[in-house]
Amino acid sequence: MFILFFAFTLSLNAQKSNKIEFTEYDLDNGLHVILHKDNSTPIVAVTIMYHVGSKNEDPERTGFAHFFEHLLFEGSENIKRGEFDKYITNAGGVNNANTSFDRTFYYELLPSNQLELGLWLESERLMHANIETIGVETQREVVKEEKRQRYDNRPYGSLMIEVFKRAYTKHPYQWMPIGSLDHLTAASLEEFIDFYKTYYVPENATLSIAGDIDVEETKKLVAKYFADIPSGGKDIPRPDIVEPEQKKEVRDIVYDQIQLPAVVEAYHIPAQGTEDAYALSMLSTLLSDGQSSRMYKSLVDEQQKAISAGAFPFALEDPGLYLIYAIANMGVNVEELESSVDEQIERVKNELISETEFQKIRNQVENDFISQNSTMAGVAENLANYHVYFGDANLVNTEIERFMSVTREDIQTVANKYLKKENRVVLYYLPESARDQPAESEVKADN
Amino acid sequence: MNHNMNKIYIIITLFLISLGTSAQVDRSKAPEPGPAPKIQIGEYQSFQLKNGLKVFVVENHKMPRVAFSLILDNEPIIEGDKAGYVSFAGQLLRNGTTNRTKAQLDEEIDFIGASLSTSSGSIYASSLTKHKEKLLELMTDVLFNPAFPEDELEKIRKQTVSGLAASKDDPNAIARNVRNVLVYGKEHPYGELTTEETVENVKLEDVRAYYNKYFKPNVAYLAVVGDINLKEARKLVEKHFSKWKKGEIKQPVYEVPQAPESTFVALVDRPASVQSVIEVAYPLELRPGNPDVIKTRVLNQILGGGFSSRLMQNLREDKAFTYGARSSLSSDDLVGNFVASASVRNEVTDSAVYEFIQELEKIRNSVVEERELTAAKASIIGSFARSLEQPSTIANFAINTARYNLPEDYYANYLKNVSATTLEDVKAMADKYILPDHANIIVVGKGSEVADGLKKFGAVKYYDIYGNEYEPSAAKELPAGLTAEKVIDNYISALGGEEKLSSVKAIKMDMSAEMMGNAIDMKVIKKVPEKLLIEVSMGGNVMSKQLLNDDEAVVMQMGNKVPVNEEAKEQLLLASYPFPALQYEKLGVKIELTGVEKIDGKDAYAIEVTYPSGSKLIEYYDAGSGLKVQETKTQKTPQGEMSLSTTYSDYKEVDGIKFPYLVVQPMGGGMKLNVKTQNIEINPEVGEDTFK
Repeated sequence: MFILFFAFTLSLNAQKSNKIEFTEYDLDNGLHVILHKDNSTPIVAVTIMYHVGSKNEDPERTGFAHFFEHLLFEGSENIKRGEFDKYITNAGGVNNANTSFDRTFYYELLPSNQLELGLWLESERLMHANIETIGVETQREVVKEEKRQRYDNRPYGSLMIEVFKRAYTKHPYQWMPIGSLDHLTAASLEEFIDFYKTYYVPENATLSIAGDIDVEETKKLVAKYFADIPSGGKDIPRPDIVEPEQKKEVRDIVYDQIQLPAVVEAYHIPAQGTEDAYALSMLSTLLSDGQSSRMYKSLVDEQQKAISAGAFPFALEDPGLYLIYAIANMGVNVEELESSVDEQIERVKNELISETEFQKIRNQVENDFISQNSTMAGVAENLANYHVYFGDANLVNTEIERFMSVTREDIQTVANKYLKKENRVVLYYLPESARDQPAESEVKADN
Repeated sequence: MNHNMNKIYIIITLFLISLGTSAQVDRSKAPEPGPAPKIQIGEYQSFQLKNGLKVFVVENHKMPRVAFSLILDNEPIIEGDKAGYVSFAGQLLRNGTTNRTKAQLDEEIDFIGASLSTSSGSIYASSLTKHKEKLLELMTDVLFNPAFPEDELEKIRKQTVSGLAASKDDPNAIARNVRNVLVYGKEHPYGELTTEETVENVKLEDVRAYYNKYFKPNVAYLAVVGDINLKEARKLVEKHFSKWKKGEIKQPVYEVPQAPESTFVALVDRPASVQSVIEVAYPLELRPGNPDVIKTRVLNQILGGGFSSRLMQNLREDKAFTYGARSSLSSDDLVGNFVASASVRNEVTDSAVYEFIQELEKIRNSVVEERELTAAKASIIGSFARSLEQPSTIANFAINTARYNLPEDYYANYLKNVSATTLEDVKAMADKYILPDHANIIVVGKGSEVADGLKKFGAVKYYDIYGNEYEPSAAKELPAGLTAEKVIDNYISALGGEEKLSSVKAIKMDMSAEMMGNAIDMKVIKKVPEKLLIEVSMGGNVMSKQLLNDDEAVVMQMGNKVPVNEEAKEQLLLASYPFPALQYEKLGVKIELTGVEKIDGKDAYAIEVTYPSGSKLIEYYDAGSGLKVQETKTQKTPQGEMSLSTTYSDYKEVDGIKFPYLVVQPMGGGMKLNVKTQNIEINPEVGEDTFK
């Protein structure tokens, strides 16, 4: 009864002061447009989300989606090479882009009187970007450096690559957005042009604008720059591969340039938006949000077995992974660390969370949900995300209710349902120097 | 009907026309910006409590969140030989109250999904609106009832000391310290340095005394920002802050530091450097609210404010001397400053200083280009506008307006004043504030390679890492006839003499250290010839073991064998001798005397040691005692070159031979390990099995 009452007052509260108002419509060419007006600050976020990520790639041409995030700053029919960024800096703005398994996102944050500049730049990118040999070659070098910095030269940098390639045998989530440099080198210019023509089309894009705008005026400007861009007209390839159920535990060792060993566990979980995904998300708040969370308090503070530990759900458009990791403190061996991690998981599976602890994580989740809309760039991205993934941009206001309907029992249930040995990949990260070790600490296969 | 049709027809035609115009969009050039937006600085309201607390309320109901930000407007104080205690007081507020331990605070803060942080001049707390009562309870518990637990003080002291130790190897930190001393002087609070010694002197009484004296409502500003109205805010603030007792605080007054009479070079000689850190710096009288502040922001944006600034374009893009060159020109209530800086390769150090001075001269002597001015303004306006997205910016504006007696419309007119800045204004600001003839040119670098080239910019004076000047002549000239061999001979005599040292055929040492709260034990056993065991354990578990048995070298880490390369083997071989310096000749180690340097304020002879494998390090021998005080090795890391120093001190005699009882060793990631000798046994019985 109390819980129900609580949920009720919460949604009232949210409606009162947190409602994100927006307008959305489609252009004839299929471009989806979302406009959120907020005149409190004279800035505007102009963003486009393309529903293409690494999962759309040909297994022989991985890294394409992310490569475009670079290539599409090279200029267009009307924007000379190297000028894209300059227009933005000279206007007093900032810009960037990022790519995931499922989508690619571009944004400019500009003074609001430069809205039209942002629309021009983004429409040029969509309409007729320059896909040329010189740009491809330049950006290949940049991506090489990026891979070196982010994956190769960083301790545990290969973690995601190593986990996902073992967890997925069929589904394209088995490779990371960064992909393979060899594939990028082998690809012909025609292949890049073809990818551009397939995915960079209005019907695969969501233009989300938030900030100091006049909605009617903005609609006109959007039409001015985007209405005459033709649709692609082709079907957009979407993978329908279903990853077969994992039947037994996968275990392996990865040697890396690191000092401290680490353990990573990855469990298969359902796609984002499902009821279980919300319960799993709350489970990770319980385990690792804040200094009083279970894993931090027990592994880092009290037992001092780990210097860092956490759990986070990788809920994706298709079924994703639940990652749990811990990095060992000096002198702690990795088997011992793993059993301490598993102890925490067993505890969630066996004991119902107390009312107080449950209330704490609800409060944390609520705080995080509300805070995610504190900037215009954040609002524009969230609106686009909710539209692209769920076809319901209004979840920006209501998704919290889905979190709040999760019960203590739900959390215990999903822990038992998904955090099972046969459903996981376990990786030990060990220092390169341990590679030639004798068989004594050989990892026991547990199946 | 007809009429209606007509109407529809007209609408359709209009629609087509508008479509038609949109089809004719000129894509060939970037659209012109609309009229500059009127930037509305959000409104604030204010009131004052009887105890003097000034409260500013910025209502913003976009999100159901509220933040309370308390700022204490105390002038910095001179901390003297306890420098560091003021900062400790701030950190300790969050680590336990008389009502709650730190763990309880963590729990209660997380329970409401809030955040709470403290410093010596501020407390910040934020949460969802509905938790504001609880949030204020926690915030004021921290403010009114700090427990200052002894163990938490020790924890902070330890962290600070290891941070300071690491910063001795960091040329940027050295440059910053020396710059502060030179620009402000040691009698000014901005020129005061926190060192390991001053940190050791800090007592809980100092921390408490600071808190008791300076945490008073009459010097405090409280910003309440977010989903709250004035009435509620007033009620809450009165409830929680009214009992706060005011107190008289006499704020100190300082003389304004002056720029040097003429430009000179302050060289911090760092023989291990492969890059020089260059800073051109001087103090400025430029207080917040001075109309020059906005114009100098435009000036600095052009000179060194971003990627397209002159310094960056010249030193990075054109000359490729550096990854980045920039400048800042800051206003401050006590004293402002100008700093231009870059890190450059040794061999271009003087060329880089030359370009810095050239750029300063140039911006003084000729008017900047219109296009530079336009781009600088756009960049400032854009970043100002983006900053307004955070409602806390408005609260800061309100507090600054009160604190520095700014005109009420100072921020409202800010962008107007940016836009109004003319080419002539920029020139006038450069004339007034860019002082290439009155600058401290601080260079932290390898003196033997860079000093001569720097003389053309003014007198070159030598400074140690704490900003103390020392006599360059003493530093540069080696005593006549001194050779590397003599330095080593002196060292051997200082330890106890060759005869005595040679009589040592075996040695056993027990040492201990502490890392992240864990005790580490080290056992070292050496036996002539070429036998060595180094065992490191933690909590009884052996973490690493290094063995040399004649020609066989084995290194184990956490029970795993690690491959041993030639360089590592060479190190083990040297280390297997009780006194490696005695063996230099025999083992083919080359030594060369390279100069005299200050190590911890004392002269030390620097000897470059080259091992047969080609690897090098520099050993420092105290000019007075003859004892070895430091070893420095330069390593390549992904972040650039970096040098690591091991220091030796606290020499004590055992059977007539001196041993360093404290060895400070660098660990990765800026951490230092203090290795303390517990026991030394000379010529003990050592079984051969020890080394297997």
